[in-house]
Amino acid sequence: MRGRPNLYTSYEDEQKILPTVTQRVTMGAFLLATVTVPFSVVPGLRFLGTPGWLQILNVMLVFLVAALGLNILIGFAGQVSLGHAFFMAVGAYTAAVLAGSPTQALWGLELPLWFALPIAGLAAAAVGIVVAPTAVRVRGLYLAIVTLGLVFIGAHIFRNWNQVTGVPELGRDWGPLQLALWDIDGPALRFDKDGDWFGVFVSAEGKTFLFMLVVAVGFVVLSKNLARSRLGRSFAAIRDRDIAAEVMGVSEVKAKTQAFAISSFYAGVGGALYATVVGALQPEIWNLFLSVEFVAIILIGGAGTTAGVVLGAIFVQTLPRIVENTTAFLEVQVETQGWFAPIADLIIRTDGADLGIVSTVNNGPGLSVAQANGLLFGLFIVLFLIFEPLGLYGVWLRIRNYWKGWPFTY
Amino acid sequence: MTTVVERPESPDISSGYPTVASLSYDWSKRVPDQVAMREKDFGIWKGYTWERVWELVHEAAHGLLALGVTKGDRVSIHSEDRPEWVVLDIATVAIRAITVGMYPTNPAAEVEYLLGDSGSIVHLAEDQEQVDKLLEGADGAQTVKHIIYVEPRGIRGYGDDRLMFWDDFLESGRRHMAENPSAVFDLMAAAEAGDLMTLVYTSGTTGPPKGAMLTNANAQFAMDLVVNVPGRTPDGIIPNSSDTILTYLPLCHVAERIFSTWTMVISGAMLNYAESIETVQENLREIQPTLFFAVPRIWEKMAAIVEIKSRDATRVKRLIFRGVMRLARSIGKDKIANGGSHTVKSRILYAVGYPLVFRALKERLGMRRVRWSATGAAPIAPEVIEFFTGIGVPIFELYGMTENSAVATLNFAGRMKLGTVGEAYPGIGLRIDEDTGEIQTKHPGVFQGYWNKPEKTAETMTSDGWLRTGDVGEWVDGTYVKIVDRIKDIIITAGGKNVSPSEIENSLKASPLIKEAMVVGDGRKFLAALIAIEFDVVGDWATRRQIAYTTYRDLSEKPEVIELVQSIVTSTNDKFSRVENIRKFRMIPKELDHEDGELTATQKLKRSAMVETFGDLVESMFT
Repeated sequence: MRGRPNLYTSYEDEQKILPTVTQRVTMGAFLLATVTVPFSVVPGLRFLGTPGWLQILNVMLVFLVAALGLNILIGFAGQVSLGHAFFMAVGAYTAAVLAGSPTQALWGLELPLWFALPIAGLAAAAVGIVVAPTAVRVRGLYLAIVTLGLVFIGAHIFRNWNQVTGVPELGRDWGPLQLALWDIDGPALRFDKDGDWFGVFVSAEGKTFLFMLVVAVGFVVLSKNLARSRLGRSFAAIRDRDIAAEVMGVSEVKAKTQAFAISSFYAGVGGALYATVVGALQPEIWNLFLSVEFVAIILIGGAGTTAGVVLGAIFVQTLPRIVENTTAFLEVQVETQGWFAPIADLIIRTDGADLGIVSTVNNGPGLSVAQANGLLFGLFIVLFLIFEPLGLYGVWLRIRNYWKGWPFTY
Repeated sequence: MTTVVERPESPDISSGYPTVASLSYDWSKRVPDQVAMREKDFGIWKGYTWERVWELVHEAAHGLLALGVTKGDRVSIHSEDRPEWVVLDIATVAIRAITVGMYPTNPAAEVEYLLGDSGSIVHLAEDQEQVDKLLEGADGAQTVKHIIYVEPRGIRGYGDDRLMFWDDFLESGRRHMAENPSAVFDLMAAAEAGDLMTLVYTSGTTGPPKGAMLTNANAQFAMDLVVNVPGRTPDGIIPNSSDTILTYLPLCHVAERIFSTWTMVISGAMLNYAESIETVQENLREIQPTLFFAVPRIWEKMAAIVEIKSRDATRVKRLIFRGVMRLARSIGKDKIANGGSHTVKSRILYAVGYPLVFRALKERLGMRRVRWSATGAAPIAPEVIEFFTGIGVPIFELYGMTENSAVATLNFAGRMKLGTVGEAYPGIGLRIDEDTGEIQTKHPGVFQGYWNKPEKTAETMTSDGWLRTGDVGEWVDGTYVKIVDRIKDIIITAGGKNVSPSEIENSLKASPLIKEAMVVGDGRKFLAALIAIEFDVVGDWATRRQIAYTTYRDLSEKPEVIELVQSIVTSTNDKFSRVENIRKFRMIPKELDHEDGELTATQKLKRSAMVETFGDLVESMFT
């Protein structure tokens, strides 16, 4: 029955991810615009096709995959975890051993990526299953502390198991980003070298972006699908009130184990991809700050919503670049005495004697750009938690509901 | 070798008079896979195809035969609107028995009276509540031989062996069908025009309800005129199988029967059963019906909701809404002056208001797809019609009563006149008695009399065979009928003036703050009124002014509220002559209710009961 948006004649109807034509068209256009990013064809988005931005986008997509996993745990199932970096590391090193090249000091099996990537996810999931039972015993803050413990245990292992992780503070090389059937010498698809695809030149970053995009979209669809499935509903039941959920026939142990397993799978794949995209990582990178960054993505984006995680990943990953660009812009303003010079002067200091919060002089007084970035980051988390607990998605909801309720408020 | 599978020959029912049953059967043969009705089940609107509907009707008809129901026996139905209601209704007609509908709100005493009066032998009680009402009676309604229930919850342990679950009833029907495959078709082929098909009990504002006897011919006449009369809809298309209807008023009432069941069987329109009367708004939004009938109470309630919600809206929304509503008033006035059709000016204004408010507002009300809607069964304030016309809902007032199968007058599209109930249907007899001013009708839709009450029937018919409607009317512009009031309700003051209370009452009720008003003053020096407030709206008003209140009674006795009502009364008085002015009023201290006997099942005031209950309030105004 056309033109009756609230009428559902079957459950399939009611559960559609994109129920209306408008939504389908919008999503199609968005995906199309995203796919063409490396080719710089969409006006206004051409700058994203530069290698620098593509690298940022690639890391963003990797973070998106891992954050989706944490969102399943925190947002869907309500289990607070600070151990996400640990699960990522498990995946990353599994992939490194499977796909990396062996040296005298390092293990490496040189297996193809299509094999290593899922195994990395499964290895992390297996660790998740082992950890899950503690979540049944402890809740909330205590669970956060237990998972925090994982990060420290992990730090110790990664520092000392050098056959796997490489030398401390240097790390090891990862296998190349390529899809080969088995033999690593004749890869069917290489994503880490510039080259032509069907006669069109694509940079290595562009190729990597397209690969990451396919993976990320796949995981987004999976996560969206999970939310509306029986499994997703059982997570939500556990999150909202575990005792009530058990009364309704949802097994707490089972649901929490599943949540940890799926979340860790996402983390494992995310970790493996992270290392592959970046190329080399020190064992120290898998620390508490990485975990916190993922919590930030979820909180800023909107916990419990897939669209929110996407928004959060975009926001958190582009913020440093925006801060950097803004600082550079303000610096130019001060130097050339442009229109914004008075404001710019208040914000940045270009020499030791100047007033301003952010310093562009190396080791000068005041905050460095990176510190300012961290400060803003913290500020955003605090502001979102206080004013918009649903995150960026909540902002969108407000806008949508304003028009949905038209001409009334409710 | 090829075998030709012969479709089983359709049983020949063509020799029988067309009934709601044979019409349903026709649809099941013509469009077996089209959805005939939908019911909301765990959030999903589940469809019943015509084939399935007929299958159910066929089984139920055999089930009734298996229970020993024969021609002319009464089958009573006491349930909210649901597929089983319509299925059993049609099945009963199929085997030439008579359906008796009861209001779900009927209290036990009334159920007992109705069962006794109609002599029903098979009774469908929806759930435990309705079964209890039946068993509560002094003799447990011993005349009823079988009780079918649809919702088994709580009934299992009752141990009354007359009780039978709906599914078991259908199962017994299937067994009976296997033994006598043509029994139902034979009865359908033997159907006659004069067969009684239903007893429709009048709501009984005075005295106990009376069962109006309607025949197949009456129903056919009503379908031909009320449903299929040309010129009914603005787009000129009579109801058809692409139409959607929300069924939510009690099906035992003649209006809902015509606008859902009978419209469905004659035109193939789809019925959607509302979950309950409380969810009508929500269900309307989901279904977005194309044909819609409502009693004035529902229309008034909708207008009141719009009023409240617009007041709660944010500043910008409120500003735009107020502006567009000004447009709507102008559109409403223009259209009504033009017989309900657009003028060039109103069309332009509507085009401005549509994207801004009307589209969304109609969507919210569930009126977005309505191509024809009507109000009837009680008088309505003209302001309400004006409002809905203004926002683009084609609404027409019509008039009819149970005793003439609701065939009397209708505001035709493009020829409507506000304040009247429209013009007589083509070819029917309708006159206004010169002495009493009573409206009388004569046509094939007029009923056969009241069940078991020949003396009441005689009172209702004139010596020359016209039906006395009991309504006082007058001609407007030659062909339009304006209803003044019920004859019995006309007030003659001590000064000898004749006053029609309903006009004054409707003017009062046009305010969203007032739910019910009853003007009194028969034989008194002046007029006075009992007034009941709309709890939600006045409660909202009070909250805004930070007036604390607890109960309905507390709220209605607040001096601020009385002052508010006084201002409405004063502005109403300005519209009427001095004799018709309300000098005093009192607030009714409780919410009126069917169960307590103050309202009929159709939410009409029972004036005699009101005077009895609130006699001291009335007296206090005149002493």
